[in-house]
Order: sequence, then C-alpha cells, then structure tokens
Amino acid sequence: MELQKFTYDNKITRNFAVATIVWGVVGLLAGLLVALQIFIPEMNFSLEYTTFGRTRPVHTNAVIFAFVGNAIFTAVYYSMQRLLKTRMYSDLLGKIHFWGWQLIIVSAAVTLLAGFTSGKEYAELEWPIDIAITIVWVIFGINMFGTILQRRTSHIYVAIWFFIATWVTVAVLHVVNSIGIPYSALKSYPIYAGVQDALVQWWYGHNAVAFFLTTPFLGLMYYFVPKAANRPVYSYKLSIVHFWSLIFIYIWAGPHHLLYTSLPDWLQALGTTFSIMLIAPSWGGMFNGLLTLRGAWDKVRKDPILKMFVVGITAYGMSTFEGPMLSLKTVNAISHYTDWTVGHVHIGALGWNGLLTFGMLYWLIPRIYNTKLYSVKLANVHFWLATLAIIFYAVPLYIGGITQALMWKEFTPEGFLAYPNFLETVTQLIPMYAIRAFGGGLYVVGMLLLVFNVIKTAKQGSLVKEEAAEAPALRPQPVEKTKSESWHSFLERKPIRFLIIATIAISIGGIFEIIPTYLINSNVPIISSVKPYTPLELHGRDIYVKEGCYNCHSQMIRPFRSETERYGEYSKAGEFIYDRPFQFGSKRTGPDLAREGVKTGRIYKPNAWHYNHFIDPQKMNEESIMPKYPWLAEKDIDLKSTAPKIRVMKKLGVPYPDNYEHKANDDLKKQAEEIAQNLREAGIETESTKEIIALIAYMQRLGTDIMTPQTDEDTEEE
Amino acid sequence: MSTIEDKNQDSSKKQVEIDEATNVKLLGGHEFDGIRELDNRLPPFLKYLFYASIVFSAAYLMLVFVFEHDSVIQEKEYRNEMMAAMHQEEPTPSDGTETAAPVQRTQEDMLASGAETYGKICSVCHGKFGEGLVGPNFTDEYWIHGGSREDMHAVIVNGVIEKGMISYKNQLTETQIQDVITYIQSLKGTNPPNQKAPEGEKYVPQQQEEKQPQS
Repeated sequence: MELQKFTYDNKITRNFAVATIVWGVVGLLAGLLVALQIFIPEMNFSLEYTTFGRTRPVHTNAVIFAFVGNAIFTAVYYSMQRLLKTRMYSDLLGKIHFWGWQLIIVSAAVTLLAGFTSGKEYAELEWPIDIAITIVWVIFGINMFGTILQRRTSHIYVAIWFFIATWVTVAVLHVVNSIGIPYSALKSYPIYAGVQDALVQWWYGHNAVAFFLTTPFLGLMYYFVPKAANRPVYSYKLSIVHFWSLIFIYIWAGPHHLLYTSLPDWLQALGTTFSIMLIAPSWGGMFNGLLTLRGAWDKVRKDPILKMFVVGITAYGMSTFEGPMLSLKTVNAISHYTDWTVGHVHIGALGWNGLLTFGMLYWLIPRIYNTKLYSVKLANVHFWLATLAIIFYAVPLYIGGITQALMWKEFTPEGFLAYPNFLETVTQLIPMYAIRAFGGGLYVVGMLLLVFNVIKTAKQGSLVKEEAAEAPALRPQPVEKTKSESWHSFLERKPIRFLIIATIAISIGGIFEIIPTYLINSNVPIISSVKPYTPLELHGRDIYVKEGCYNCHSQMIRPFRSETERYGEYSKAGEFIYDRPFQFGSKRTGPDLAREGVKTGRIYKPNAWHYNHFIDPQKMNEESIMPKYPWLAEKDIDLKSTAPKIRVMKKLGVPYPDNYEHKANDDLKKQAEEIAQNLREAGIETESTKEIIALIAYMQRLGTDIMTPQTDEDTEEE
Repeated sequence: MSTIEDKNQDSSKKQVEIDEATNVKLLGGHEFDGIRELDNRLPPFLKYLFYASIVFSAAYLMLVFVFEHDSVIQEKEYRNEMMAAMHQEEPTPSDGTETAAPVQRTQEDMLASGAETYGKICSVCHGKFGEGLVGPNFTDEYWIHGGSREDMHAVIVNGVIEKGMISYKNQLTETQIQDVITYIQSLKGTNPPNQKAPEGEKYVPQQQEEKQPQS
C-alpha cells in the first residue's frame, strides 16, 4: 500500500480559534453589561443603542453564534482533517466560510444595536443577514461533505456523525424559522403569526440549543476528550444508540417552551413527554464522555484541560436532567418567566460550551504552534475561576427565580394577591442579580487569563501552517453491505446515505407538530371580535419589537388564578392571529402586558402614565429597573413605511380593506391626534407624530379584543 | 430508534485487542486519528432509564389524548383551581379580620398599614409623598371627586376609569382601604417638593367627620 503525502491546513483552524477567543471576550463582556443593566437602570445610559432590549440580543447572539459558532468551526476544521486523513476539501471555501461568518457577526451586532430585529429570540437577525447565513452555511456544508467524500478512511467516526446532524438540522431550522416577507431593506414580517409563529420559533429555539450548542459539542467531545486523555472511547454501541435517539427525540421537544400558554394541550404534551425521553439519550453522551476517562483519572487531577472537560460534561449532564424536569408542567408553572430558566441555560452555556471550548483551545493552540502551553498554572486558575463563576452565577438565579415565582403566586387569607405590585417581586431580587453579575465577572476574568495564556503560547511557538501527514489511499469499498458488516457499520462508510437518514430522523418531529396546526382549525379557534391592528397600533407594535420589549415583558397570561387575578383573563390562541411576530416573551423582568389596554382590567394605566413612564420610569416609581426611553418622544413615526407594511400584511392574509395602504396614514393621524389631545388634557405637551404616541396606542390596544363582553361575567362571578 | 442493530461484528477483527487499563475489548478496525473505541455494552441503568421514560411518556400521552384528565388539560385545571379558591375564601373574612384586629389597632397601626399600601399601589401615580404625578396631588385641599372619606372610598372601590384610576376592590381589603384613606388624609399640608398644581374643588371637612380631628 502506497502512503500518500499531504498536509493539514492549520491556518484555518487558527483563524477560527482566534475568532472564538475574540468573540468570546466580546460576548462575555456584553453578558456582563446586561447583567449589570438588569439591576442598575443607569447602566442603560439612556441611549437607544445601549438599552437592555437591544444589548441582551447582542449578548445572546454573540455568545451563541460568534463564540460557540467559531468554536464549533475550530473543532470541525481541526478534527475532520485528521479523522478523515485528508486536507479540507477547499481552502477557498474555508476562507469564504471564515470571513463570511465574521462579517455576519459584525453586521448582526450593528443591526441589532440599531434596532433591526425580527423579535424572535436567538433568531433576531433580519432577512438580508438571514440570507447571508444560509449562503455561508451551505458553503460550510459543501466544504464539509467535500472533505468527507475525499477521505482516506473507510468509515466516519462518531464526532463526524454529530457534525453531519448539526449541519443539516441547523440549515432546516434556520430556513424554516426565518421565512418572512420584507417590507423594507432591513425589515420583514414572518409568514407565521401568533401561536403558529410561537410554535415554529420554539421548535427552532429549542433545537438551536440542541443542534448548535449540543450536537456539535458532542462531536467536539468525542474528538478532544479521548485525544487529551489518550484513552479509547468508552462504548461504540452507546455512541450509536445515543446519537440516533438524541437527534430523533430532540426535535419534538420545542413546545416545552410554551407550557401553559395558549398552545394546544396536545402539543404541550408532546413537548413534555419528548423532553422526558431525552434524559437517557443525553446522559448517554455524558457517560460516554466521562467513562472515556476511566483509567485516566490520575491525569485528570493534574491536567486543567481534562478538569475542564470533566466539569463541562458534568454540567451537560446536569442541565440535560434539569431541562426535562423543567418540562414537567408542575415545575414549569414555577420556573417559567423567572430567572430559574436563565440559571438553567447558563449551566449549559458556561459549563458545557464554555469549559469544553476552553479545554479545546488549551489543548489545540500549543499543538498548532508546535510548542507547550505557556502556563499550565494559569489554565488551572482559569479552571477554578470558571467553576466558581458558574456557582456564583447560577445559585442566586435559582434562589431568585423560585422566590419570585412564589411571590407571584402567594395569596392572602382574604383571597387577594399577597404582592399585587409586580415591582415588589423584582426589588426582592436585586441582591441576587448583584451576586450573579459578580459570578459573570469571575467568568470574564477567567476568559482574560485565557487570552493572555494563548497569546504567550503563540508567541513562544510558531504556527505550523501546513502540517505534514501521510496515509494510504482509500481502497475501493464494496458498494453493497457485506454479510459480516453490521447495518450501522455499513452506514458509516456511506456518508450521503447517513445524511439522508439523519435528515429524515430530524424532520419527523417538526412535521408532526407544525403541519397539524395549519390543517386543523380547532388548534387556533377563531374569535370574531379579534381585528387587525390599526396602522398606528401596527407602528407601535413594530416599535415594541424594535426596542426589544419582549426581552423583559411577556404577553401571555397563563391559566392560573394567580395570573388572572394579577393581569386579567388568560390569553386565548385566537387573540394572536395578527401578531407577526408573536411576542409571548419568555421572561418577566417586568409584568405581563397581554391585557395592558383593558380599561376595566387590573393593570390598566392612562395614556399620561405611559407617556411619563416611557420617558422616565424611575420618576413613576423610584425602584423601577426599566430603562428610560426618552427618544420615543423625539423620533417621528416613519409614515413612509405605512403603505409597504400594510401591503405585506395584506399579502400575508390580514383582512385590511382594498387599497387600505393609501388611506392608512389618514387613519393613523386621526388616532394619533386623539391620543395627543388626551395627553394635552393631562398637561403633557407633545406632537401627535412621535413614536411614543404609536407605542401608547399599541399598549392601549393590548388584550382589548376579547375583553369587552368577558369582563362583566368575570366580575359577577367574584 | 431502538430498531438500530448494534451487533457490530467487524470484518477486520482478526486478533482481539484488550485495553489494559479497563480490561475491555477494543473494537478492531476502529481507529480514527489514534482514537480507539471500546466494546462496552450500554450501561444497564441508562437503558432502563430510557425504557422508564418511554413508559412514563406513553402513560402521560394516554392521560392527555384518551382520558383528557383534569390534571393535564389546562382549562379544566384552571376551572378547578378557581372553584377551589371560591370555596376557600368564604369563611375567612368572618373569623380572621373582625374579631381580633379592630380592637387592638391604634392610629399608628392604621397609618403604618395605610402607608404600606400607599407605597405599593398609590405612589406609582400619586407620587411617593402624595405630591401628585399622573394622578392628583393629595397634599393640598383640592379634590376632583370629593375629599370626604366616603368620596375617597368610592373612588378606590369603583375607580375613575376615564382618568386611568382603576378599581381596587379586588386588590385591597376593606381594612386596607380604610387605612390608606387615613394615611392619605394625613398627607394634607405636608407640603412636599414638586407638587402638582391643585385640581378640582376646595374641600372643607365637615364637623360630622368626627373620626379625623385636624392634625
């Protein structure tokens, strides 16, 4: 057998590693900023570009798609070449992939801060960037499969199974969830509305966690853990079973983000049950990772890289147990909308994604620079800092989340809410938020140690751009499955077939859940009194989305006595059919707004109150942690966009009258003038052309569609 | 996905290799960049955990789809919760509030309780010191809807929706309402900074309002 000589491209790996580190610092600092903003409103700087509603998506996008994304690519470009005994398929595609991705990140940060957002969590980026992501992702796919097809190994290793599943699922999720119709160069409305939009979004959102934060990192684990420990993988059988069960089941679990919402019961039940069934497949990954270290525990004690892997994998096991528990409705009734969820995801993010990435970098950088790590001691300090940071981060949020939920639910013996003022339940959490920010700060310090250590390491070595390698050419393989070969072993040497079967496995859940909500009307019962938004309200709604209000306010009253007592009648699926995008929200840092406009409701506020509150919430309530929004009273409503907005809405099936786009601004001005007049009567001088007027119109519309007849019944009952 | 066969009898298995550290067979032919794989079976407890989760899920889905049980259909759950609350509420006011409380309560108690309610609820619109914000000033002598205890009581219970004052009859007990009125009356003449201009008519307390002598 003749040995073929070739080289591994380490430059592309180095580039992705540097990007991982740079965006890691940026994303973590953004995280620290939002952690401070949430309890120190002055940290929002009264500037639209630095307000929590915009900075929080920058943080989440930066850590998920920039930090973790580049870490995935680092792992893929390093491990695939070696696992397949070949250079990457195309240097050029690799470069386009690298620079394309970084450009996407930069444009994401700029547009998000400028207020261009789709208003769907972790999918905030608007349509031109969505298209760019699709193109770059396809280029990544071509490069990946090109590499697989030119391999010199007969079979593909488990890490690559996970990379394949990652690639195809992220592609499907991204395209399906992002489809919309543009009404301007940077803005669009989604083709889904209300409950369906929520379902598609959380099918995406949950599986972004599954296939962006989990499966590629399992691939990373399967390469770097055995490499760093120099141990064989614990069980090949376990790899097979947990891989297929994981990717098949994960996709169904999205509805657990919408428990007790107006999503149909049957979908919620699928969300709960498939989450429970996920425990064992997830733990399969954890055990295969941890048990790979059997026989190497003495090394673990000394090696900070292995320590990071152990704590990271353990964090994965913890959060994949906690996740299913949070999917039980009884637990979710407490955890949802609170900081418990935030704590939960950070166990995964800081522990699993963070520590595995750090471990990988400490292992990989010295190797491609042909040197030793500059300081093992510093890496050790980083390990302890990060581990402590996770505890300081998560524990206060667990305490805070549960405390707040219990306060929301507590009734006095007389049958009144014990804490009728939402703010009281927030003020209670301030010390917890402070400790959390301290934990986040520790994590940042650890990251900075990594930066220092990596720079020093790179300086003492020199990058081996082209690493020489050799391997025999791949002998021709039998086309059909041989008798002695297992079904799966056969599949492992048929990557395209593998891809197709994986695609089927990840498609089933989504098809079963999403399509029936369109075909069966009873899933979203029609309510005849629900009418489209007026043009002014529509503008107001778009401002609500633009400012990222959904990051702190929900619009979904769950059917609990504690919620209907506080906010009013619980939300019905039929109320949201004109909501593009849906704005259910996932966290209540502020109160729910679903019934904000109901005049006879519990939380109604007059126009003047809203006006003053938007401009200076602390004037209305000293302890409020809401940022100030003074620019809303200065900026004019963009009247030019009214016609295109109405046109797109009509295209999407919203029943505005014929030619309404030409008359819409007249109606808008009339409604705006009424509100401005009402404000003047209350002693507030303002012009009817300002954005704040539109937002007030939207506030006063919220929840009113079905409330006129229902309230009488309600009050009689009590 | 239990249909996957994981027999993995590899064809290239010629001589059996054993991992020395764990004494487990290494899979022949499985070597990727130096990474080997062991021939361990699935950890049994994990397998049973998986089966158990499937059984649980099947039972749960039956509960939802077949039995439509009260505990998993959220509208039913809500109705039951509300019914339970209605039954529970009836006896409490008679035994709790009336007997013990009023006898011992001093003016200070009432003012303290009123101040607490005021801080939680009223201050948002009427200002921390009653100076007036969106809502009118409580520290002057002018009242839009009348300044007697009865008038104030009516405003708190019924609200003045067109001005943005909602009804608090479902959020405050009668005692809390009385206390907060007492507290609001105590604010008169305190002259806090940033007062809102007087609104409404001047109100002069009648002699019959015997409960609140001028302070």
